[in-house]
Amino acid sequence: MTGFGAFLHKELTEIRRTWRLWVVPGILVFFGLTSPIIAALTPALVQSMSASQPGVVIRIPAPRALDAYLQFLKGLNQFVLIAVVIAGAGVVSGERASGTAILALTKPLSRGAFVVAKILSQTVLLVAATALGTAVCLGMTAVVFGEGNRAGLVAAVALWLLYATLLIVVMTLCSAAFRSRGAAAGAGLAFYFLTLLLSAWGPAARYGFVGLWPAISGALVGKGLALGWPVATAVVAIGVGTVAAVRIFERQEL
Amino acid sequence: MNAPPAIELRGLTKRFGDTLALDHVHLVVRPGAVFGFLGRNGAGKTTALRILSGLARPTEGTAHVLGHDVTGATDAVRAQIGFLPDVPGFYPWMTAREYLDFAGQLFALDRTTIDERANALLEMAGLASVTTRVGSFSRGMKQRLGIAQALINAPSLLMLDEPTSALDPIGRREVLEMVASLRGRTTVFFSTHILADVERVCDAVAILERGRIVESADIAELTARAPANRLVVELEDDGAAALVASELAGRTWLKSVDTAERTLRIAVSDLLAAQREIPAAITSAGVALRRFEIEEASLEDVFVELVGGPAR
Repeated sequence: MTGFGAFLHKELTEIRRTWRLWVVPGILVFFGLTSPIIAALTPALVQSMSASQPGVVIRIPAPRALDAYLQFLKGLNQFVLIAVVIAGAGVVSGERASGTAILALTKPLSRGAFVVAKILSQTVLLVAATALGTAVCLGMTAVVFGEGNRAGLVAAVALWLLYATLLIVVMTLCSAAFRSRGAAAGAGLAFYFLTLLLSAWGPAARYGFVGLWPAISGALVGKGLALGWPVATAVVAIGVGTVAAVRIFERQEL
Repeated sequence: MNAPPAIELRGLTKRFGDTLALDHVHLVVRPGAVFGFLGRNGAGKTTALRILSGLARPTEGTAHVLGHDVTGATDAVRAQIGFLPDVPGFYPWMTAREYLDFAGQLFALDRTTIDERANALLEMAGLASVTTRVGSFSRGMKQRLGIAQALINAPSLLMLDEPTSALDPIGRREVLEMVASLRGRTTVFFSTHILADVERVCDAVAILERGRIVESADIAELTARAPANRLVVELEDDGAAALVASELAGRTWLKSVDTAERTLRIAVSDLLAAQREIPAAITSAGVALRRFEIEEASLEDVFVELVGGPAR
């Protein structure tokens, strides 16, 4: 892991000095701000649509803080994870294509340090941005609806972050394995949709990390899902994926 | 105890599918030399440098740098090497100063050393007053920064891949002067297809052609070994060169003749016969002679002889 500190410092400075500082936190703050508003306005919007069709009566319960939180989680699960896939697709292949990796890796910087610093810096950015977005969501929800199940949202977001970290590792692995950013993005999207589909299959959800999908919303609504296997297998998959990404990159010629 | 060679290649071979990029290359570069690695585009120079810098692995054979096998090169070995690829890639959001800081940190240099070296190297590269980001640099500026970053660790071995190819004449001269100034302190191994650069600064050269070393020697030895086989004849009268050329036509020792108004450059296969017969041909043409000279063989002559065409 020679050169890890210097390269991680470069990665974090790069986040601070480029578009990455604004895009991911921007998306999360946007969802934090708009989720409570969308939750508050949705019943009125649906009722106004049904009013234009005589004979149709739609009863919608009054919105609550829980709806705002679910809306926020929906944004995380759909848009933010896709953003993670797109941003992560070029994390290694981009440096390889631009020649920046060559200059750095002919110095005392190990390929392991290169890959791990990439994973860690992306994770730091995502955790910080998610914490910010979640805080904004909690605050905005309190303003619109009053207090909700704050602990439930924090637990759900923590589980989501575990899955998102796994996705970061998978994207780094794909980006190390494929020379094309498009191929890496395709593989990442395939992983995302595959895990989403598998989460509907009981045994996989009980004993594998795909169980994080139902666990995320379960934590919010208070469903007592067993988290041991999903969390443990996710942690193991993060470790295995990181080692695999390092090994793949070490074997490549630049 | 003798220092190991700065670079030692033994039977180095690299295949890309069916393409043989390097074919059993043997090469030894002594410490402290300024060594030119000469060859046409596509000869295999960059492939060899990629292997030497640890970016690629040989298919067969071995490559040693400073006495260490490059396939198992440790960070301690990399810490003694400076490398500039043919197209250096920089982070566009950094300034030149920031890149040198980053490079210095990778070499685990202390802050004072980084500052001192970065100041000196930016001055040398003509980038001391440039505060814009690297993304806005010209190719020449990037190349100069590339050389500066390759020197931040005061390397024992500096490997440069086509370092002057993107530079204007002034930038090229500055780089070559900088390379020459390192003689004796640092081994410089640079690939190029520009013969003039090699002649200007190198002590020794290896010529690579289609993945094979066709010659490797000191420059002086190489040019001395090549037979002088060209004569320059300068005449007094305008237009007389063509007249003499027609007198020489058909001689068995004549390989080629280039004529200008008053000058002939004559390539020959038998120097003694040419020395005897050319003055006679000039007399027979009724032309007055101003200069008759045997031209020393140049590196270009050697290169053309070995490779069959000019590098540039």
